[in-house]
Amino acid sequence: MGEIWGWLIVIYLFMGGLGAGAYLTSFAAGRGWIGKSPALQRVGYYISGPIVALGTLLLVFDLGQGLKKPWLLIGLLMNPRSMMTWGVYILACFIVVALLVGFFTWKKKEVPKAFIFVGAFLALATGTYTGLLVAVVEAVPFWNTYLMPVLFVVSALSTGISITSILSYVMEKGQKTDERKVCKIHIVLVGAEMILLAAIFASMFTGRHGAVGAESARMIFSGSLSLPFWLLLVGVGLVIPILVFIVNYFKLSQHQSKVQSKIEVVSAASYEGQSKALTEEFDCSRSLLTVDAGVIIGGFILRYVVIFAALPIWNGVLK
Amino acid sequence: MMSKLHSRINLTRRAVLKIGVLTTASLVIGVPPIRKLQVSDVQAADAAQSSHKQLGFSYDQNKCIGCKQCVYACKKVNKWEAGVEWRKVHIIQTDKKPIFLSMSCNHCSDPACLKVCPVGAYSKREKDGIVVHNSAKCVGCKYCMYACPYHAPQFGETSGAISKCSMCYQRIDEGQNPACVEACPAKALQYGDVEELKKIAGAVTQIANLPPAEMTKPSFYIIPKKDS
Repeated sequence: MGEIWGWLIVIYLFMGGLGAGAYLTSFAAGRGWIGKSPALQRVGYYISGPIVALGTLLLVFDLGQGLKKPWLLIGLLMNPRSMMTWGVYILACFIVVALLVGFFTWKKKEVPKAFIFVGAFLALATGTYTGLLVAVVEAVPFWNTYLMPVLFVVSALSTGISITSILSYVMEKGQKTDERKVCKIHIVLVGAEMILLAAIFASMFTGRHGAVGAESARMIFSGSLSLPFWLLLVGVGLVIPILVFIVNYFKLSQHQSKVQSKIEVVSAASYEGQSKALTEEFDCSRSLLTVDAGVIIGGFILRYVVIFAALPIWNGVLK
Repeated sequence: MMSKLHSRINLTRRAVLKIGVLTTASLVIGVPPIRKLQVSDVQAADAAQSSHKQLGFSYDQNKCIGCKQCVYACKKVNKWEAGVEWRKVHIIQTDKKPIFLSMSCNHCSDPACLKVCPVGAYSKREKDGIVVHNSAKCVGCKYCMYACPYHAPQFGETSGAISKCSMCYQRIDEGQNPACVEACPAKALQYGDVEELKKIAGAVTQIANLPPAEMTKPSFYIIPKKDS
């Protein structure tokens, strides 16, 4: 049996999470939870709507008949029992709200508070949906665990913070974020993701999801998907980032107290000293933004291995 | 200065907690209604079935000679699209004679395809429980191909839509047998009311490595090969 869902679905699930996470990053920044950076408060709102809209568009291209007969797409709203129908409603609402919030923010108009909160709820729903879509499929044991939507939400938040941090840096010309706080939340999220992944693999390998669940897990762990899994998801996407975040978190914590005293000295002293202090911080941004890119790659590979490890409970061959 | 630092740390911790609570809350809000919905649907479906008839296939492995006439008849009558198989004869090679299993859609009493299809292309006939797929509504998302543990829904590359066994409901409505049943020379493949099929001695709904029957409650009764 060949693959049923391919790359387009992987990209769609990834972008759904990425956009939702970006929105929630700006939401969190706006509430002052991850520092008071004005860039982080805006950029996530700009990009979330377009990212999710683009991902959804790709989904339409993956359809068989629906692409040729677009009027059939209205039917997607018809079965309230289907997780996919729920998803269509959630995504449609989120895209509209996120685009509006993004537009208001861009025009520097005040965004109605209710809008922002509704958007945050829909963003969480979007992230959850991308996981539930696969988790409700009983006939695919590897998917059929309620840890899957939790993992997808955590990964959505993690990749969302990363893309927003990178784009804030690019779009707002190196404007500084509160790196210490961002590092801390990153450590929590990436740490949670590692624990969730470990929990899923543990439940698969102990046979709680049957022999097929274990076989899917083996496919990722030591089989055909092991290279991208260990190298790009575990290495580039989780372990290296969490180490860099932890190291920088402690450096920044030490730095914070130093800088306070330095600034007092520097403001009185030469221009040279001032630029030196700035350069020091610049270096830290670079390493953080590099691992941010790693987190995004890891998030993509996560969706990739989950979709491609979907072995059916019965492979169609009678034994 | 230290107190300022401390208050900052506290705020972050709280923020982390808040995010955690929000995530959990959204999951808690999101998951149960969906589960409840599915459960209530199943219950409703079960209740409906207890009062309504459910047709199903029965298949005797002792009688089947592996001629595949069921497959050919189905293909001819239902004009399969290239690349799709509504019915398949599975073969288990043994030391002695091979063992066969002719299987199509099992018209489950709890069909997984029907629950996942976003456009509602699947329906279960009130009067006989046949699970019918309407290809005209299908957008080709293939979600049902993951959901069905028996691989009954088949994707046609030409049409871009799913199709599957309909138990020849048009023929049944006209008082005829399904094409496969009609074609079976050994009378190994039969169909009828599941209440009757259940009574066949030794009939089971799961053999070999077939998926567990509790998953979708298939209306397919197999009389397994007796060791001779």
